[in-house]
Amino acid sequence: MRTLRSAGVPDSAIPDMGVAAVARRRVVVRDCARHSIRRRRMTGRAMQVICLIAVLIGVTPLVALVIATVSKGAGALSIGFLLHAPTPEGVPGGGISTAIVGSGEIVAYAVALAVPLGLFIALFLFERAGAIASSIRFSADVMSGVPSIIIGIFAYAVYVERFHHFSNVAAGFALGVLMLPIMVRANEEAMRTVSVDLWEAGISLGARRSRVARSVVLRGALPGVVTGNLLALARGVGETAPLLFTVASPTFAMTLLIFNDATQPFPDAQQTAWGTALVLLTLVLILSVTARTIAWTLNRKTR
Amino acid sequence: MSDLIASLPPSPVAGSSVAGEGDDGSQALRPWRKRRRLPSSPLYAIVRWGGAGLFAALVIGLIVSIVSQSSQAFAHSGLSFLWSGTWNPDAGDYAGGTLVAGTVITTLVAMIIVVPIGLGISVSLSELIPRWLAGPLSTSIEFLAAVPSIVVGLWALLVLSPLFATDVEPALERLPVLGWFFHGPAYGPSVLLASVVLAIMTLPTVVALSRTALGGVPLADREAAMALGATHWQVVRRTVLPGARSGIAAAITLAVGRALGESIAVALVIGNRPAIPHSLLAPGATLGSAIVNQFAEASPGLGTSAVIALAGILLLLTILVNVAGQLLVRRRGGRRLLGVRGAVV
Repeated sequence: MRTLRSAGVPDSAIPDMGVAAVARRRVVVRDCARHSIRRRRMTGRAMQVICLIAVLIGVTPLVALVIATVSKGAGALSIGFLLHAPTPEGVPGGGISTAIVGSGEIVAYAVALAVPLGLFIALFLFERAGAIASSIRFSADVMSGVPSIIIGIFAYAVYVERFHHFSNVAAGFALGVLMLPIMVRANEEAMRTVSVDLWEAGISLGARRSRVARSVVLRGALPGVVTGNLLALARGVGETAPLLFTVASPTFAMTLLIFNDATQPFPDAQQTAWGTALVLLTLVLILSVTARTIAWTLNRKTR
Repeated sequence: MSDLIASLPPSPVAGSSVAGEGDDGSQALRPWRKRRRLPSSPLYAIVRWGGAGLFAALVIGLIVSIVSQSSQAFAHSGLSFLWSGTWNPDAGDYAGGTLVAGTVITTLVAMIIVVPIGLGISVSLSELIPRWLAGPLSTSIEFLAAVPSIVVGLWALLVLSPLFATDVEPALERLPVLGWFFHGPAYGPSVLLASVVLAIMTLPTVVALSRTALGGVPLADREAAMALGATHWQVVRRTVLPGARSGIAAAITLAVGRALGESIAVALVIGNRPAIPHSLLAPGATLGSAIVNQFAEASPGLGTSAVIALAGILLLLTILVNVAGQLLVRRRGGRRLLGVRGAVV
């Protein structure tokens, strides 16, 4: 077997790989050529079919879920369903107006907390390098993996237990804490697409940092910022766990209403749960699609 | 780009010698005068530093409050709270061992289901399916990530669970060797159903991240393998998959993190029996599902503290897994088995 070295390639051009790596690579090459091309092609075909079956298996639950939610939820939907207050358990009829209003209020608190804070922290990360910035960045990444139920408990400990009452403010705080790390990272990624040259040009014109941040960094990062925040919002709207220990009644939030009604034996309650699920799913879909559309349009405009 | 920014001092212009010239003789005595600050408004500095400080406070506050609130339970049961005993609030027994086991089992089964399917999908999307179809397909799988977990839970409870009780679980019981894992009555709500739900919910994570990793394998590597006479599949199997190894590992790790912490959907379908399940068809409980179900009923004081201690265990687990996942994501590239400049000609 001829090697690179025996073929006259200078040592400096041969990547330094251990003896073990070379041996392993030889095994691979030999293995690749062990069987006839026909057999190898057949194996390839079979594996391709298996991969495509995996796609079918993966898409099936999504399709089944959407079909079930739409078909079962559509029966519950009506103008009255959206505008009327829920009836007590076991009593048929009623709507989900209090849940829609409550969810809106909670999300508004969360947005008021997380959106500005997310921008400030992202600007901090954008302008500063070093141990503090990278540790904040890392903890934001880890925080976005912290289970939402734990953030619910945190909000309970910080607010509900201290002030001795459940409140939408506590729920908004929990949702805000949940969305914050996602927003920070999305904002920072968007800001990173703004060229450092532009930042320096702004500074060299004598503009203040705050002015450059507003007119150069935020302006350039706007599509990404809007998209990232909307996607984080879509995630926040659908969360149940942070609200579980912070909201006074399950009729005050859509996700809690679903959770509560799903486990009840009354068909009417289950119908309400499906209807609410459909409303929620539509809302999340609208948010996601809007986010992507905004990113796409603004990207094209700036180009 | 981040390197570029890192190479700049905090105030890029201020470090230059031009800025220090006006300071003449005083420079030697007061070296800090050399760096003149950029024009900035104090408000902006307060806002940035305040934001960063508040974030740090939130992270520390989260950990401190969970730890301090769970201390009473740990004082009551000792460290054995982590692994031993049963969860029986009526008898004053608080221990998370069975719940930790339930969490690990459901996550493990979910990964056994989701990893092959997720890898198959990402290989299909990045290598096999034409681009016009791959785009919409991956968008729809991403949409699965946006579906609220409560909606998945509702669907699993009211649609999947009856289906499992009547068709899927009896069929699994009849399997020749694997049937041992699936013995006992088929209720519907079970460890298996919870694992399937977790698999569905973690699928988008696995697909999105491992697809990015597969796409990151250099074209030259594929071409080199093809030049050696490898078939399309051999290129994937011997070059693309090994090249994307660390990215795939990161994808799986982050999916594990998500599966560990999912609580609402699992609480709806696992059956909530805090004991080590003897079969995958038996009801069980996880840390997350137990928190959901026990917190409202927990007695003030020790009971609440015990539930928060469960949250503490869960927090520790997910932080460990996520730190590992983030380190894997940050590690660029992976060792390639079949590189371009192979030592064998």
